[in-house]
Amino acid sequence: MNTVALAGNPNSGKSSIFNQLTGLRQKVANFPGVTVEKKSGKLQLPDGEEVVLVDFPGAYSLYPNSEDERVVLNVLANPNSENFPDAVVYVADVTGLDKHFLLLTQIKDLGLPCVLALNMADTAEQEGIVVDTQRLSEFLQMPVINVSGRTGANMDILKEHISELLRQERKKSADPLYQPGPMEENTLGQVQQLLGIENPYRALLVAHHALKLPYLTSKEKSDVTHICEMEGFNGLRLQIVETMRRFELFTPVLQKAIVKKAEKTTLSDRLDAVLTHPTYAPIIFFGVMFVVFQAMFSWASYPMDWIEMGFGWAAETLKAQLPAGWFTDLLTEGILSGLGGIVVFVPQIAILFLLVTLLEEVGYMSRAVFIFDKIMQQFGLNGRSVVALVSGGACAIPAIMSTRTISNWKERLITILVTPLISCSARIPVYTVLIGFVVPPKRVLGLFNAQGLAFMGLYMMGIVAALGSAWVLKKLLKSSEPSWLMMQLPPYRLPVWRNVGITIWEKTSAFVLGAGKVILVASVILWGLASYGPSAKMEAAKTEATLVAQQKNLDETATGNLVASYEIEASFAGHLGKFIEPVIRPLGFDWKIGIALITSFAAREVFVATMATIYSIGSTDDEGTIHNRLAQAHNPETGEKVYTAATSASLLVFYVFALQCMSTLAVVRRETGTWKWPLVQFGFMGLLAYFGSWIAFQLLS
Amino acid sequence: MANSVIQLKVGNGGRITHFTDDYIAGKLMNMGVLPGSRLRVVRIAPFNGGYYLKVDGMTIVLRNDEASNIMTTVDGD
Repeated sequence: MNTVALAGNPNSGKSSIFNQLTGLRQKVANFPGVTVEKKSGKLQLPDGEEVVLVDFPGAYSLYPNSEDERVVLNVLANPNSENFPDAVVYVADVTGLDKHFLLLTQIKDLGLPCVLALNMADTAEQEGIVVDTQRLSEFLQMPVINVSGRTGANMDILKEHISELLRQERKKSADPLYQPGPMEENTLGQVQQLLGIENPYRALLVAHHALKLPYLTSKEKSDVTHICEMEGFNGLRLQIVETMRRFELFTPVLQKAIVKKAEKTTLSDRLDAVLTHPTYAPIIFFGVMFVVFQAMFSWASYPMDWIEMGFGWAAETLKAQLPAGWFTDLLTEGILSGLGGIVVFVPQIAILFLLVTLLEEVGYMSRAVFIFDKIMQQFGLNGRSVVALVSGGACAIPAIMSTRTISNWKERLITILVTPLISCSARIPVYTVLIGFVVPPKRVLGLFNAQGLAFMGLYMMGIVAALGSAWVLKKLLKSSEPSWLMMQLPPYRLPVWRNVGITIWEKTSAFVLGAGKVILVASVILWGLASYGPSAKMEAAKTEATLVAQQKNLDETATGNLVASYEIEASFAGHLGKFIEPVIRPLGFDWKIGIALITSFAAREVFVATMATIYSIGSTDDEGTIHNRLAQAHNPETGEKVYTAATSASLLVFYVFALQCMSTLAVVRRETGTWKWPLVQFGFMGLLAYFGSWIAFQLLS
Repeated sequence: MANSVIQLKVGNGGRITHFTDDYIAGKLMNMGVLPGSRLRVVRIAPFNGGYYLKVDGMTIVLRNDEASNIMTTVDGD
């Protein structure tokens, strides 16, 4: 099957064209050997042929500045690569066309059959830009057409041209635009002979990048390096000479081929005067964030209620329909409640993705990167880390996936490691239940709700811990890789809803399927641990509970609850809780809290459900009820209250810091490619949680 | 006389004459920031964090140490 590459600069609107051509028939994978995302999709051409369309990362040239750009070079300079294209669709933004011709002419000089798709033909008309496509086509010796990723205009013509390119005989002698100088000629001639490369420009690229091309053997690398040394080949200088020469060659042609209105202050410039203002920009940013989080929490609460009700109803119905037994229990208490635990977060994640994708699509996120770059650098992060830290307020998983835009590995790693310290939405139920034990619901200064302030305090604690850990990691991790801000800000644009929709669909389903598998397995295991124990002890627990219930004259429901709570103590989970009790004693926790800590290692929100089971409350719906039950809990030996202010504060601090989320660990493993970093992260956040809780407990008790 | 971009006042501009570092030059030229391009300092980032520049109609943002490598003429000199 033929492969067609979609290439172009960042912000050329490549993804819109890709979405127009493939719709939802997309596959997301990685390019071989790197964590750069590769999107591909099947495309049916007018002549009936089916081809694979591969969306390459946006790049400015074949002299790469980032991991993303490097992929373009690695594939296009290696005809044996599985992704090596048979034809290239080059997408260029018609509003700044001259800057897009560098990479285009480089690809052309590699001898690849190309079609140039001038994107945003619709905005060009509005902005009074007229392009002489005939003249460009003659200069470039390739077809040039107007398309629009926004409206889908001319996609059929584009497909015709792809068919045409694939049908025609490969022209060997298409004149290259760039004529290398005598010294480059000597070098590339020898490289051509050494490696048997036919295309001269490919040989030149190999000379430039030999040491970093993954497909060369180490012998080939050293031979090419030797040739370059003998010829006095100065890569940096020659790159500059080549780039200058290319611009000199195509700029005059473009000036003749394009009619533009005189430049004036655009709407983007006027928006940026406010949105990137040296004083107001940070204030506006925090305002925007406030609105985003308000919207997320308030919009998501309705669908979340429906989902919880739906799963509750499904469990009830199954229980009523199926015969009682371990299988029914596993289905309803293990699998269904585990699934519910995943699905209930889908609305929040989808809404957050909607809002963050919108901010990205219109071009605001790149402004935030610019605004905070300086501050982020102090903590070993990059301006681009802002995006992850913001998203982390909802869920660390999509936040960690968003760090792929950070090209410096150290900065990206630190961002990944500290993002889970930002309080995510799963901590909210835990905070809500426990905060009442530490802070009474009174007013401070007649204005503020004391509990609300404490809530904010917990969030601040997370942010401070994230920045503090980042600072420490900056000192510990070594890197010689240069770090960059250097970036082009795209003009503000109305969002393309099709792109927004596809992004939300992709990322949300990635969360449900990827993280979902882990949560599902974990919740089934935890259900097993909490439901089963050494059978003699389980029997004894049941008998004793029934006896106590009879003495107290309890009704059927209350008896069931009491039995459940005696059984959990005798279960494997109960034994685990007792086993770790000595370790968590200094933090003010008993074995019951121990079980909750263990179960909430799968996911934090399990805490409330576990507490509900242990303190034998049938339903966790009413947080007032569970709060009352916890308030009445006493230590059977000393008679002291379990949930004192000290214990509760200690527990709150624990939940702020500890990495109790298997899905996060799984995602960090995927993004860093090794188990080392999720383990390091789990360790340092665990230590932070343990000592933080210890200090809180010792101070308050 | 060529000046470094960081010596320009906000609102001022000129034409790029050359770059003082080949590595940064390569990166900037990839984006189309070339000797001969028109450059104007539009504003300074919050917290003195960098430069917001217009180069041939494109918006480019740079850290201070990145911007210091760009030498330009100064309009009006």
